[in-house]
Amino acid sequence: MTGIDIKIKRGSGELAILALLDREPLHGYEISKRIAQQTGGVLQFNLASLYPLLYRMENRGWVTGKWEDAPSGRKRRYYRLTPRGRKQLAQLREEWARFFQALQSVGGVAHAG
Amino acid sequence: MRDDRKFVKKSLGRLGLTPHREEEIARELSEHLADHAVALEARGLDKDAAAREAQDSVSNWPELGRKILAAETEGTTMNYRTRVLWLPALFALTLSYVLLALIQIFGPQPSFYWFFTGRSLMPFVAFIVPWLLSQPVVGAIAAYWSRRAGGTVRYQILAALAPAIALLGLFLLILPFAMIVVHHVSHTMRIGSFLGLTVTWVILPALPLLLGAAPFLRTAQSRSV
Repeated sequence: MTGIDIKIKRGSGELAILALLDREPLHGYEISKRIAQQTGGVLQFNLASLYPLLYRMENRGWVTGKWEDAPSGRKRRYYRLTPRGRKQLAQLREEWARFFQALQSVGGVAHAG
Repeated sequence: MRDDRKFVKKSLGRLGLTPHREEEIARELSEHLADHAVALEARGLDKDAAAREAQDSVSNWPELGRKILAAETEGTTMNYRTRVLWLPALFALTLSYVLLALIQIFGPQPSFYWFFTGRSLMPFVAFIVPWLLSQPVVGAIAAYWSRRAGGTVRYQILAALAPAIALLGLFLLILPFAMIVVHHVSHTMRIGSFLGLTVTWVILPALPLLLGAAPFLRTAQSRSV
């Protein structure tokens, strides 16, 4: 059994985005809005932090973007989860669960999940 | 009327991705800025202030450009220009001069034509016809390679013309050097030689190189970086 991956902190944004896209396809602005709303502002992505992450995830084949009509009538690039992204999401969920478990046992930090 | 896409393109600068991908990124980021501005307007800001604040939400655009480039090129060892220009150009250059060497060794000898400058005879053209006939193949391969790698028509032409451009660069370096170092030959003769060499080794090969490249010159639409 390996220890918690040192990159797990960087995975928080990836986890949030993948989890959102697992429910429905979203465009970039909507992703940042939903993350802020659903985390009560604890996790926030602006343009500068969101898109490099999204493009990296797309480059890795976890998500795929496609221009589609938004309800506003304007074209937006909607991101969808790919099968590889779904696999990654499951892996990240597992890593985060272990991470919280480890924090709980060491520091008495409990998580709501 | 503000133009977010123009602003984003100007702020990011050239990323080193395909033009198609850079356009797509600029479009996507400008749509994000527009959405952000609308949200700020809904919070009570006037249109111009909202647009300004949305644009100011990114404090360091060059840094964002670097991050995007890093994200887009993760896992690749070559940047865009290397793939669409330098590699096919190097291949064209090598192939062209390997063919020249082979033709010189195994083919007919070069034909010399003399040109009277008014004061003396100059070796105006010393080209090898079979080598010139082989150049369309070189131009075609280079242009096709560049296109397949996602190069623009400009890169395709530059890659195809690489053998001629390389020699032009060499002659341009040699001419001033000859002007300074070789004192016993007149300037007229040296410039005449330069023009003769340029026609023989740059302009004449450039024509078949372009001819071979022509059928393959098309805009690539790949997402490749």
